[in-house]
Amino acid sequence: MRLSFIRPISCCAVSSPTTLVKPQTPLFLRPPTFKTTLTDLKKWHLWAKSLASSVGSAFLNLDNGPDSNQLLRELNWLIEDAIGTPKSILEQPHKSRNGNSTVLIRTCLDELYVLWKQRVEERRPFQYVVGCEHWRDLVLSVQEGVLIPRPETELIVDLVDEAIKENEELRDGLWGDLGTGSGALAIGIARILGSKGRVIATDLSPVATAVASYNVQRYDLEEKVHVKQGSWFEPLRDNEGEFVGLVSNPPYIPSKDIGGLQAEVGRHEPRLALDGGASGMNDLIHLCDGAVSMLKPGGFFAFETNGDEQSKFLVHYIETKKQGSFSKVKMVSDFAGIQRFITGFRGR
Amino acid sequence: MDRLEVLSAQLNKADLWDDPVHAGRISREHGSLMNKVEDVMAIEQELVEHIDMIKLAQEENDPELELESVKALLRIRRNVKQKELEALLSGEHDYCSCYIEVQAGAGGTESMDWASMVMQMYKSWAQHKGYGVSVVDEMPGEIAGIKRATIEVDGENAFGYAKSEVGVHRLVRISPFDSAKRRHTSFVAVAVIPILGDGSTRVQINESDLRIERFRSGGAGGQSVNTTESAVRITHIPTGITASCQNERSQHSNKASALAVLQSRLDQLEMARQAQMNAQHTQSLTEISWGNQIRTYVLHPYRMVKDLRTNYEVSDPDSVLEGDLDDFILSFLSTSLDKDEE
Repeated sequence: MRLSFIRPISCCAVSSPTTLVKPQTPLFLRPPTFKTTLTDLKKWHLWAKSLASSVGSAFLNLDNGPDSNQLLRELNWLIEDAIGTPKSILEQPHKSRNGNSTVLIRTCLDELYVLWKQRVEERRPFQYVVGCEHWRDLVLSVQEGVLIPRPETELIVDLVDEAIKENEELRDGLWGDLGTGSGALAIGIARILGSKGRVIATDLSPVATAVASYNVQRYDLEEKVHVKQGSWFEPLRDNEGEFVGLVSNPPYIPSKDIGGLQAEVGRHEPRLALDGGASGMNDLIHLCDGAVSMLKPGGFFAFETNGDEQSKFLVHYIETKKQGSFSKVKMVSDFAGIQRFITGFRGR
Repeated sequence: MDRLEVLSAQLNKADLWDDPVHAGRISREHGSLMNKVEDVMAIEQELVEHIDMIKLAQEENDPELELESVKALLRIRRNVKQKELEALLSGEHDYCSCYIEVQAGAGGTESMDWASMVMQMYKSWAQHKGYGVSVVDEMPGEIAGIKRATIEVDGENAFGYAKSEVGVHRLVRISPFDSAKRRHTSFVAVAVIPILGDGSTRVQINESDLRIERFRSGGAGGQSVNTTESAVRITHIPTGITASCQNERSQHSNKASALAVLQSRLDQLEMARQAQMNAQHTQSLTEISWGNQIRTYVLHPYRMVKDLRTNYEVSDPDSVLEGDLDDFILSFLSTSLDKDEE
């Protein structure tokens, strides 16, 4: 991890001495101040392509990792992010352009070699390599120590959108995103709320709160999203019973499964954001318990789970152990047909 | 010219501006026609001047001047070609951007390789024309090439030009994938779909009629998987039409792109349905229907590209495969224009 400890940049976090992390600037946002020649860049590109091609389906067979096709697509995106001029210059050299012409890039060429080696040989997640993840219509900054938001999680924003359309009162209320990570859900939701709608996003990790705050700033949402550091509901005690909505993508992988995860995840992403205890449901159960007192009557919740088994268990848990507290509790599947979410409303 | 006279007469009427909307339209059409006429006359005059100049240069023995005038003539030729094309693009949706879809025929790797050559030809063609090109959907072959691909070509008249390419394209060559070095014939089908502008009526899609699926899913998903692959396939249940996209960087964007393709496919289906009801259009529809073989590319034993609809042919397949398609498109468009006038 390359974290430099300088003065806190977070303006919204509850003051906490550990919030001293300076978030990294994603590659695509850095100024194109490095120069190289077209010939050297092409040489790198050829090398990078052959490294990607050499993988074949080895990672796919090993641990469901990326195959060559996917790596080659990522390589195109790396070029997209790294080059100040259009990437087509690599594929379609204009006849008049000579090999010595200068190309402006956002990091030095040596670093591009290092980055692509890390991607392929160390299985460093592509999103950490370029420092960002495209999620919904957002481009979020991510770095080591912060969970890379998953495509499945995008759907929680759609679920919130549906709930708001059914009950407009939710649009201008207070929302909570618990374990916000990069701030993805908090930002996605803040953008569909009304002028009075607010989101409080919490995370135990100082790196996550720093990165989330940075992302909130990049989307000019400081007025709407407040990032607070702390465990689950702890930083929200002042707002007990005031929430019209709660969302979370908590760690839900059973501890015993952590060792067998795909290298990109197991070796590089923060265990804090993945490991949900023996059954994987420690945090999900804690969230269901806490939601009872945090939500206003009629308030909405949507939590992500590990899939069918956990979702079924939680629905059963709520119906038996939290009898009468919630209504319209149901499971919602993701685009792969897995029951990925549970949603419901606080009883009135 | 007749139209111009009619418009001039109307413009000279005293009561024209009693209806300002009508007057504005007449005056705009008049202006635009006048411009075109002036353009043609200017080209004519330029042409005469340069021919005189060449004669003069030859008399004076001034090779530099001659060369310059020859260059100018070449420029005029290009310019005239462009004008001719523009005149041919008067169809209702010709001004639209479009999707170009390429699908490999039977024959495994050889035809998948041909499909990627055809796709590359269109990408280069579109780039030369200054259009925006982006890959929406691409299914690579196991060994080489592509099974199918969809690109979006963004710019004025993209559909008007590209619609000339609809049909089956045939390649004859010694296959690089055949160790026995035998001659192979492969086929690729090309479809072109206009992306209708805001002004057009578009088919209403009900959210509940859509089935959205993750592509190449499998495994646990969620936190257990970190993948940059977020392709989705959308099926319009009532028609069975599908669209997919995997080249965007988020699932949300892939879904939006796939939905845009689906919308255009449904629009095209609806246009075809309406055209069928309208006998007048049936003629032009058959010309661009899917499944007809329209062009042959021969790399061996001789070298030639021949359009089977217009009999236009060239002996340099490489330049065609590098995107030099305008002559084929132009000759097809003029042939269809002549047919329409008959």
